[in-house]
Amino acid sequence: MTSRTLAVARYVAADVLRSQRWLLPVLAYGAVLGVLYGGDPGPAPGVWPATAFALYPLAAWLALVVANAEAPEQRPVTAVSAGGYGRVAAGTALVALAGGLVMAQLPVLVPLVVPRHPYPAALVLTGLVAHLAAAAAGTAVGLVCARPFVRRIGWSFCLGVAIVTVTAVQPWLPPVGTAVGAIVDGGPPPVASALLAVVLAGAAAAAGWAVERRR
Amino acid sequence: MVRLAGVRKSYPGVGEVLAGVDLEVRPGRPVVVVGGNGSGKSTLLRIAAGATAPTAGTVTGRPAVVGFLPGRVPASPRMPVRAYLRHLAALHGVPRSAAGRAPSTMRPSAAEILDALGFSGDADAPVAQLSSGNVQKVGLAQALSCGAGLVVLDEPWAALDARAAAALDGLLPSDAAVLVADHTGRGPALPGAHVLRLAGGRLTQEEPAPDGPPDEAAFTVVELRCTGDPAAALRVLPAVREWWSGPGSLTVQVPVTCGDAVLVAALRHGCSVLGVWRE
Repeated sequence: MTSRTLAVARYVAADVLRSQRWLLPVLAYGAVLGVLYGGDPGPAPGVWPATAFALYPLAAWLALVVANAEAPEQRPVTAVSAGGYGRVAAGTALVALAGGLVMAQLPVLVPLVVPRHPYPAALVLTGLVAHLAAAAAGTAVGLVCARPFVRRIGWSFCLGVAIVTVTAVQPWLPPVGTAVGAIVDGGPPPVASALLAVVLAGAAAAAGWAVERRR
Repeated sequence: MVRLAGVRKSYPGVGEVLAGVDLEVRPGRPVVVVGGNGSGKSTLLRIAAGATAPTAGTVTGRPAVVGFLPGRVPASPRMPVRAYLRHLAALHGVPRSAAGRAPSTMRPSAAEILDALGFSGDADAPVAQLSSGNVQKVGLAQALSCGAGLVVLDEPWAALDARAAAALDGLLPSDAAVLVADHTGRGPALPGAHVLRLAGGRLTQEEPAPDGPPDEAAFTVVELRCTGDPAAALRVLPAVREWWSGPGSLTVQVPVTCGDAVLVAALRHGCSVLGVWRE
């Protein structure tokens, strides 16, 4: 059961890596980190609010790339081979989440690898969980903006920008607003926000499965 | 046994494509669906394979592993053939240790199927660089090598040359339920084929062709090895309708009534006969 889902994930990952489309969001993210960490990021939490905000749309972009990587003609073959669209949706979401997970760790690791200011462990944990929340929320947005919901990349871009713009600027709005709020306040790790973001990503994948199996 | 009961499918803006289809597919008795363009053959096959859900009705008894070749030739264009087939085997749940050989059956591996079909592309090149015939062979290899209990093929003979088409007949598994759509006439000629016509969204039994002299559409294909210019050989062979020449071989297609005459003329010309088959 799960081994065929993981086979989908390996197949999707191999196809995405070959496509090179993942390079743009990852390079953009690297550029953001380079600018923010180029100077002195200052004492904790440093630039983490900014990196978490940047991670949200860039993780969405990466998820969009992952979900749209496969040729549309191949999709029914993949689904029949894997034993249903559910496994395809789950495997695709796993790859997108894994990519977001890798991106989420980078800004948290930089001040630990290059220590210029003390970063207390509790605050590091808050920062890590907040970035995970932003990455998973971005994955959810990316999956909603991709096939099978939106077939044309121009509309995907417009919808993604609209969702991110509306949801990122509200500091009270979970999961991204509350996660960044936790970094700014130096509060406890925003575990609830991170869990909510992962649930949203799962819901986006499940909705995609429900739409796609009827096409 | 795979059973479709009361299957309907409608698309927004198109209307009802399937209007209540009942169908049973069992191993050893290939079901061949014929019908005009746009009659809904592909939709019926997609539903049977599980590539889309019916609007109404049920599909029961579909096995865990299904081999599927859709009408629009698939395959991920960026992937090398070898990597694509390895990934598809994993999706089908073929164990890695089996290295391409389907478990518990004597089915040929993907590589053996590509060989049998005369795959002539580079297995390490991206699929996008292959000819459409070779892509079709890759699609057939993934569908037929996975040890599927149900094999669904949409126009499998369409992009194949005469030799590969003949080879495909022998590659269809006898121990799996087989459902094909076909307009080339090869499907109804399969042993034990159950031929159904799809028209107006409904399936009807296709009347078997009356016995008698072979009709215009039946041909004999002869593969020859001739020394010298193939054009010289073609000048002495009677009634050649189509011909292909490959490295060291010349294949001609003639009406079945002229098969003997072609063989006599070819042997007299000094050619040797590599194979003879019906098409």
